Amino acid sequence: MIHVKHLTKDYRRVKRKEGFLGSVRTLFSADYETTRAVNDISFDINEGELVGYIGPNGAGKSTSIKMLCGILVPTSGEVTVNGLVPHKSRMENTRQIGAVFGQKTQLWWDVPVIESLKLFRDIYKVPEAQYKRNLELFNDLLDLKEFQNTPVRQLSLGQRLRADMAAALLHNPRLLFLDEPMIGVDVVAKEKLRTFIKEINRDQKVTILLTTHDMTDIEKVCSRIMIIDHGRIVYDGSLEQIRAEYGKQRTLVVEFEEEVQNFDAPHASLVKSEGRKKWFAFNRFETSPSTLIANISSRYPILDLAVEEPEIEEIVRTIYRGKSESPNMQVA
Amino acid sequence: MKTFWAFARQNFHAAAIYRLNFLLWSTAILILMYGIRWVWITLYTQRPGAFGVTLQQMVTYGVLSMAIENLFYTGPQYYMAQQVSTGAIDGDLLKPMDFHFHMLARSTGETLFRVIVMVIPAFLGGYFLLDLQLPATSQAGFLFILALLLGFLVNFHLDFLLGAIGLVTLEVHSIDWVFHAATRFFSGQFVPLWLFPGLLVRVADILPFRAMFFTPLSIYTGVLSGNAIAQAIGLQLLWLAILLILSRWLWERVQLRIVSQGG
Repeated sequence: MIHVKHLTKDYRRVKRKEGFLGSVRTLFSADYETTRAVNDISFDINEGELVGYIGPNGAGKSTSIKMLCGILVPTSGEVTVNGLVPHKSRMENTRQIGAVFGQKTQLWWDVPVIESLKLFRDIYKVPEAQYKRNLELFNDLLDLKEFQNTPVRQLSLGQRLRADMAAALLHNPRLLFLDEPMIGVDVVAKEKLRTFIKEINRDQKVTILLTTHDMTDIEKVCSRIMIIDHGRIVYDGSLEQIRAEYGKQRTLVVEFEEEVQNFDAPHASLVKSEGRKKWFAFNRFETSPSTLIANISSRYPILDLAVEEPEIEEIVRTIYRGKSESPNMQVA
Repeated sequence: MKTFWAFARQNFHAAAIYRLNFLLWSTAILILMYGIRWVWITLYTQRPGAFGVTLQQMVTYGVLSMAIENLFYTGPQYYMAQQVSTGAIDGDLLKPMDFHFHMLARSTGETLFRVIVMVIPAFLGGYFLLDLQLPATSQAGFLFILALLLGFLVNFHLDFLLGAIGLVTLEVHSIDWVFHAATRFFSGQFVPLWLFPGLLVRVADILPFRAMFFTPLSIYTGVLSGNAIAQAIGLQLLWLAILLILSRWLWERVQLRIVSQGG
């Protein structure tokens, strides 16, 4: 469905001169600086996949999505979406994709939602039967009816995103790009949107690339995760795989019957202590929880215990941190 | 075509939201219409016969020139500047439609609205209150409307080019201001071109602006007739063709710039 190979994007920006009359001098002789936003990335996404695309701000997520949408031309490398080169066949490509950018709406500000949707119907030449069917589906899943006659500027953020989602799917695209589609949305609305995303992926076989900063979105929705940082893909694999690879660390939480001194167990170090409760971090390939528990309980009587798996968020933080030594690429 | 009318319809409704604007604007137009009529009456009292046409023709020319002002007001340049500066241009490029076509549809919708709520009422006001005459023949009336339509298209393309250039220079307001002044002057909105001194006439002749006010107004008032009308409309068509080609060509380049720099 999506094929990306050695994709690179440089931005060339005018470097402003400082000081009095600096901007006037910039007019006549400008220096340029080049920033590499996407640096030689390669991946393939198959039909029907639901991929989480994550990375810190400025990592190159939006840039790469824009290239897939055909509204940004790559500096080098290959990109094809369902056989089309997006920036070469922009119009044709837009018919097979849908996109929601959480930060900005694609609907028209002053007109009611339903009018915007009608306009989308006309732009994409959606047959009337399909339009009606989709509208009904969106009513069921997104409660569009509630606010379909309200102008977009008066919608709440959650409603606006639901409307945007409906607009992006009206023409039954095979591929959906969601760039932070749940930014700033409350928990209930978020849950609704997540369910919706999962359902259209499952029922309509829409391939989805989802960008988010909320790891819960990833855990609840995605089957595969790609992490981009400083323009490079630093991880690409399934959710279980990432847990297995990066989640070597486990934490044993022990509550003792009585006050005990702080101590380290073999292959495990004390990371936190709160009264009679102690947290021991250990690598699950160096020691097993049962050995550890046996060791500890032989010293002091234990009241309660639990083994904690690392949160995906924690793992991702480790990955970002691990790769952040290489500074942003500066070319000439 | 369906998409075209869908956009036109939508922008028609969008324009209708800001009703108070139009009420105030209409008042301003009425004042201008009254003012220009008064100026010509005063001038004719001082120097009758110095202006080449009858007072009635001149008042009709002047009052009508203000009444049709709103036909030439809905260029896409500000929309284009706003879309690029906010990054919303991505949304426009993400849809399977031609940008130039999209802009034309928007302008058409808004202009239709302005014609209905401002131009037609201004015309009626001029007719009943300010001695605006009807055209001498129905043929002149028909050709006037045709010339207006072509004038609207010429104006749209000039504004589109301005908008496209503005995306590169990142400046629309000041260019637009100069451009607007030049348009109004060289199109003969305030002073008919036949009153211009020799050199200025030649300048006005080689510029496209006369297609907007001068051509329709001089057809309406009967200053042009017969072959001269055909020639004037032919010139409008020629300019339209040139500007259309230029717009398409320039937009291709500007769009390439947008998509390679990311807005």
